[in-house]
Amino acid sequence: MALVEVSGLRRFVELRDQILPAGPTPLLHRTGHYTFGAETPEFAVPLGVDPSGFLKSCSRDGGVSIDMNHGTTTLAFKFRHGVIVAVDSRASAGNYLASTNANKVIEINPYLLGTMSGSAADCQHWERLLAKECRLFKLRNNQRISVAAASKLLSNMMLGYRGMGLSMGSMICGWDKEGPGLYYVDENGTRLSGQMFSTGCGNSYAYGVVDSGYREDMTVEEAYELGRRGITHATHRDAYSGGVVNMYHMREDGWIKVCQEDVSELIHRYKKGLF
Amino acid sequence: MKLKEEKHKSNITGFRSLAPGSSTSQTGFLGSVPLPFPMSHGTTTLAFMFQGGVLAAADTRSSCSGLVACPAARKVLPIHSHLVGTTSGTSADCALWKRILARELRLYQLRHGRRLSTSGAAKLLSHMLHPFKGTELCVAATLCGASFTGPSLVYVCSDGTRLKGTLFSVGSGSPYAYSILDQGVHWGLSVDQATSLAREAVYRATHRDAYSGNCVDIYQVNSKGWTRRTREDLKEEYYREKERRAHERRERQDMTLSE
Repeated sequence: MALVEVSGLRRFVELRDQILPAGPTPLLHRTGHYTFGAETPEFAVPLGVDPSGFLKSCSRDGGVSIDMNHGTTTLAFKFRHGVIVAVDSRASAGNYLASTNANKVIEINPYLLGTMSGSAADCQHWERLLAKECRLFKLRNNQRISVAAASKLLSNMMLGYRGMGLSMGSMICGWDKEGPGLYYVDENGTRLSGQMFSTGCGNSYAYGVVDSGYREDMTVEEAYELGRRGITHATHRDAYSGGVVNMYHMREDGWIKVCQEDVSELIHRYKKGLF
Repeated sequence: MKLKEEKHKSNITGFRSLAPGSSTSQTGFLGSVPLPFPMSHGTTTLAFMFQGGVLAAADTRSSCSGLVACPAARKVLPIHSHLVGTTSGTSADCALWKRILARELRLYQLRHGRRLSTSGAAKLLSHMLHPFKGTELCVAATLCGASFTGPSLVYVCSDGTRLKGTLFSVGSGSPYAYSILDQGVHWGLSVDQATSLAREAVYRATHRDAYSGNCVDIYQVNSKGWTRRTREDLKEEYYREKERRAHERRERQDMTLSE
């Protein structure tokens, strides 16, 4: 490839013999795992395609505009008895509602969950790729991947495509040897560990509710109620969130799906007067 | 018709010379003066109706793209004894238009012998701002008033919006406040409950929003007029909340130990 020659990138196979001693090639240097199946470390995008330029042309005011807004509300918080994950279920394409019961939580394995916000295609693809990598990790190393490592894998995938117009805001939640784990991973490669996160354009509404009701030593029922309220109030005020609340509880022995309740019924329970 | 119009225009004396595109304006002054720096509108203001009248609350941080220009600004401005307006947007624009509105309402009162209703005041403000639509003027106000028809709350924005309602929150911190207000506001609140709810809503917004903070001003408007509470520092609220949580945790531990 002309670009590879101009940039001075040499085939890894040529350099490897100079750097490493001869012998059986360790896992890291084989084609496949970390180079996504390519012999030469290649640029991730085929020649002639410029995704970021294409997307800039699609955000012209007045013309065709693809708005990569994270149109959803998802929230997750850690507490004494695990991690609560609550998401809405509205999938919008501009002003059109593509689906009212989209699934925004991907069940990676019985101890790991990932939420999706942003572009549905990007989230689904990359989180499924993450699920594949987690499974391969387990098969190779005979132990489950930690939440920190799983979120790091996703973050590195995002960094490889940084600036090319991906849109993904995800929370990786799980329970590993360190206890309950919660990481926020962004399409810019941001990776943050924390007690509570909320993503999507309805996140500010959810933050208000969860901030005021959160206590580290809540009971499980109180935590369920807080997660439901957060999503319900966000769907009430945000036009791009709605549908049902899908709630999961990550416990020491794995996750359970707590409920799937319609927000239009929940809002009548939670909003007292002035209706 | 023409005569009446001219008479009306000449009554609002200062107004005509400000309107863009009018024949008496000397330069197209609004179009040609460049902005000194990009204006950003960071605040949290809220207002809601309940049985005790209308409650209006706002934070006190005046920001200037990243700089806190004034930590003790006043965003809830009284217009007359029974009307209070919260301001959001560009502070200078809001202060000016509030004073113009106060002057016009006083003139109306003198000419007609009675106060203009809140909806009338909102309509007047909206029509005064209309010539500036499309310019960089930014005023988003909620007028909270109690007239002979009862309490009422109207939201007026310089882009032409004028909405009558029972609950509004304006500004960059408004989403955080909305969810708290949605949970707790109903008609039957007592004054104390309403005040603590408004304080909690502004506190949550200032906790998460960088452009809101410092203190909170709370005004209550009812048929007797408006009353203002002393300004409260939200830093105290933060420490009070920490104390409350620690106390609750201790109580729970005691409960579980005694069981």
